[in-house]
Amino acid sequence: MEKKRLFKILSKAETEKVAEFAGSIKNSCHIVIVKEPEKSLSMVKMREPVKESLFYIGEVIICEAIVEVDGVKGVAVSMEDNFEKVLNMAIIDAACNKGIFDQYAALEQLEKEQLCETEKENAMFMKTKVDFHSMSAEG
Amino acid sequence: MAYVAVSGGEEAIEESIALLKYYRSGSKKDLELETIQNKMALLVDKVMSEAGLYSKEYAALALKQCEGSTEEAVFLLRAYRSTLKRTYYTNIVNTKDMRIIRRISAAFKDIQGGQILGATYDYTHRLIDFDLEHEDAAALYEESEKKLAEETPEKVHFCNRVSDGLKEEGLIDTFEENNEAPFDVTENLLEFPSPRSARLQTLTRADTGFISGLAYSVLRGFGQVHPTVGELRTGYVELEIPYLLDNEESIYIGEILITEVEAFNQADDKDQLKLACGYGAVYGRNENKAIAMAVIDRELDHGGDYPTQSDEFVLMHGDCLEMNGFISHLKLPHYVTFQSKLDAVRKTRRKDNE
Repeated sequence: MEKKRLFKILSKAETEKVAEFAGSIKNSCHIVIVKEPEKSLSMVKMREPVKESLFYIGEVIICEAIVEVDGVKGVAVSMEDNFEKVLNMAIIDAACNKGIFDQYAALEQLEKEQLCETEKENAMFMKTKVDFHSMSAEG
Repeated sequence: MAYVAVSGGEEAIEESIALLKYYRSGSKKDLELETIQNKMALLVDKVMSEAGLYSKEYAALALKQCEGSTEEAVFLLRAYRSTLKRTYYTNIVNTKDMRIIRRISAAFKDIQGGQILGATYDYTHRLIDFDLEHEDAAALYEESEKKLAEETPEKVHFCNRVSDGLKEEGLIDTFEENNEAPFDVTENLLEFPSPRSARLQTLTRADTGFISGLAYSVLRGFGQVHPTVGELRTGYVELEIPYLLDNEESIYIGEILITEVEAFNQADDKDQLKLACGYGAVYGRNENKAIAMAVIDRELDHGGDYPTQSDEFVLMHGDCLEMNGFISHLKLPHYVTFQSKLDAVRKTRRKDNE
């Protein structure tokens, strides 16, 4: 699974769900925390469409952790300050890098549920799409 | 004239700070952060935008700490931000990939993807709803959740910009992608004339009232621009950073809500065959600020003698923290300087009487 996709699913997941995914890895592997979860900032770089140039709209608070699972590194970075979640995300990443993560089907199922929720919300927004009617001319 | 250090007042200051708690203690009910985040979302958005820091939780906390004062909340967030190191820069965010929750155009009725009103107060009657005095918040929440659950999922489509069509027709200038590293006003002192990136970063962090007032002055005649909102879009953009262990890959770190505006104007006098664009983009749902930013952006491009056409005037006076800090300092003791002024007035009066 692409890292972008993996992290999108995990970032959107509840803390408890991510802990569930990491649980079996924690039980069966030797985990070393290389970098304890720590807050820092990421600057958001944007492209503006008028002159096609770049600018910074502002920063976001992120949280980062690095671990080793049986000697293989994993990294996680996520917005906000959920230390427990980001540590578990790093463990899952390391397990993926080591090739021992075996819950892809569950991840894909979770992804489907997340997408469904997003699309249901989108449906609410789409109901506000304007349907213009031309006014017939008098006379 | 020299400054003279004085001491005293420590106890009074301590009591004064303690009194702030007294002001926050007016009710036995706590103001939960979740409540502020979700029910004062527009205020939270405004604070995040002016602080230049996207964190709904911390913005809510800051607002709770300072009785809802925007400038104090911005101060707290900026101060906290300065204690953290910056470890990443995101990959370039392109708002073409925005998951749109509102999108309108005042320039064209029919736009590709349609006009989506989203949630807006534009069409409300602005009459106070006294039913909210005794609202059943739990029931409201459950009703909304039920409504969401009953929706039929609808695929998210990204929309081209309204300006794309005008660019294809040659009615708006097109530019090659410019990947020059942006100027960062949080790390460098502004110099004038400022680069575009510094202008946009300063405007997006600016005090909402300040740039709204400036844009209003332009529309009233103290400027050249009376734009048409070509497109206003609000929605979520995904943030990605390079993956530390493999630069070929990126990781998703979250999504942020932003509002973006492209405003169309007549180009300058020499080139009336084309339209010019002003640009605004801000954190959260804060569309008047984004529109004002777009007005000012174009006004600064245009140049001229009005204050809103001066880089230095606009960019040096709109920062919430700096402007309020400077105004606030007027409250601090100026005993010596004031005594000097008083002496000068007395001397002049004596001379006049002689």
